[in-house]
Amino acid sequence: MEGTSLVELRGVSVVRQGYTVLRDVNISLSSGETLFVMGVAGSGKSMFIKVAAGITIPEEGDILYKGKSLDRLAPREEAAFRKSSGFVFQDAALWSNMSLFENLALPVRVHEPRRGRAEVDRAVRRAAELVGYGQDLGVRPAELSSGERKLIGLARALVLDPEILFMDDPTADLDETSAARVPAILDELKSRGRSMIIASAVSELAQRCADSIAVLVEGVIAARGPYGDAMTWSDARVREVTGRLKARDAPEPGWLKGLAGAWVSAMADGVEMPDSRGEPRDDLAGGGLAGGEGGKD
Amino acid sequence: MFERIGRAAIGAVDRFLYALGFFAQVVKESALLFKRRQVGFDVLIKQILFTGVEALGIAAAMALAIGAAINLIGSSLLAEFGQGKLMYSILIVVISRELGPLLTAFVVIARSGTAIATELGGMAVGHELEAYVAVGVNPVSYIAAPRFLGVVVSLVVLNIYFNIFGLLGSFAVVQVLKPIAFDVYFRNLFAVLTPGDLLSGFAKSFVFGIIISVVALYRGFGVERSVTEVPVAGIKAVGSSFMLCIFADIVMMAMQYLG
Repeated sequence: MEGTSLVELRGVSVVRQGYTVLRDVNISLSSGETLFVMGVAGSGKSMFIKVAAGITIPEEGDILYKGKSLDRLAPREEAAFRKSSGFVFQDAALWSNMSLFENLALPVRVHEPRRGRAEVDRAVRRAAELVGYGQDLGVRPAELSSGERKLIGLARALVLDPEILFMDDPTADLDETSAARVPAILDELKSRGRSMIIASAVSELAQRCADSIAVLVEGVIAARGPYGDAMTWSDARVREVTGRLKARDAPEPGWLKGLAGAWVSAMADGVEMPDSRGEPRDDLAGGGLAGGEGGKD
Repeated sequence: MFERIGRAAIGAVDRFLYALGFFAQVVKESALLFKRRQVGFDVLIKQILFTGVEALGIAAAMALAIGAAINLIGSSLLAEFGQGKLMYSILIVVISRELGPLLTAFVVIARSGTAIATELGGMAVGHELEAYVAVGVNPVSYIAAPRFLGVVVSLVVLNIYFNIFGLLGSFAVVQVLKPIAFDVYFRNLFAVLTPGDLLSGFAKSFVFGIIISVVALYRGFGVERSVTEVPVAGIKAVGSSFMLCIFADIVMMAMQYLG
């Protein structure tokens, strides 16, 4: 498999109600890469990420996972793909008729049915802790704020410690403190070699986490390259999107500073911060999220 | 104009083929539900509880009322023409063969058909169905198959209860108003009741259950983006189910009486 992309979109076009949302998209993601897909509102970012994750079927083109078309995966291979991928929805998309615990437990129960109740419980609580949600998991999503729902949506994507993550605007609806956790989580995932495709218009997040940038303009990939190249792109429509990106040595944005920023910086420095009970946090240490003592990798 | 008609016809054929494919997939996933023993099993139990158990009161009340009315009217009116024994044939035809399956179907359409279509519509708008796909759960096997089986099983069982309340329960009601001797009533009733009557009612309930569940699921899954589509899906599920159940009833009736 040397040289094969982890995920590849070949000639993908999506038409919805007579409107072309994506047009002849060709892009690939290498293992361990963090690709930011940027674009103005309505440029097709959400559709792109759903197509890349195999949630939406395109009218034309092919999605390849480790060189094999998603269309042609055997049921067992498809289950393996789903188990090794996590998806964060823009609006969380939690199952409203289930408790938060059940929302987080379902992927574990589906993909690892042999796990005992205690193991499922441990995996669920680890994922919730990882995103900083320390409240009651027995409540329904309707009882949460949109930001809290988003955190649980993120936790659901992480509960099986996936190899690849698809995130649709991961900081949308989050308050400043919660939003500040996201880069730390992404950093941790990156450090553990996870691959990510992130649709976001937040330049600060891209500046911090992106290995490469793709710019969508009216459903077409108008630019694609390493993060460092993004500052040199001159096309006006691309600059409209990437204009706020700064070189990596530029100072950190304000929203990463303050108390939340201190937590994030401490995590980046490898310093253990006390949690609300005054105990050291170990949820971001490389122990795996899925409840196994040493992770699955 | 011809172009528009042609386009509409092609669209209708497309939708029909899509619905057929959807139906086939639901049947296939339903057959695999027990084999997989996946998380959908509790959904099946909940569906039977909602569609079958919770609708029992309404179905029983209707059966009692209709059975009692036939008893009361039949025993006095038909006796005037010396055809008192026809009351039992009418009871069987109406309760077991014709009205029972249809009325229980109407109850289930009103309760579960709308509930399933609007619930799924809401889930579609909230991207909950996509979330199932994202975690590797096939919405047809987890959402549709248990509901399909739940509605079919519930409707068949409800029809059995409708028969019990219509034929036996109504006897108790009539005793209060116009007593009939117990042995006379049941001897006459069982003299005209044939296995074919019960089979006919069973077959109709089975077919109606398939129609109601598949239509509701199809309409629910058909919701795409807006919350305003949700009530429309519910309304369409009710309308289509009513029409298809009546049509199927006529077809089965014709097969039974003309075939």
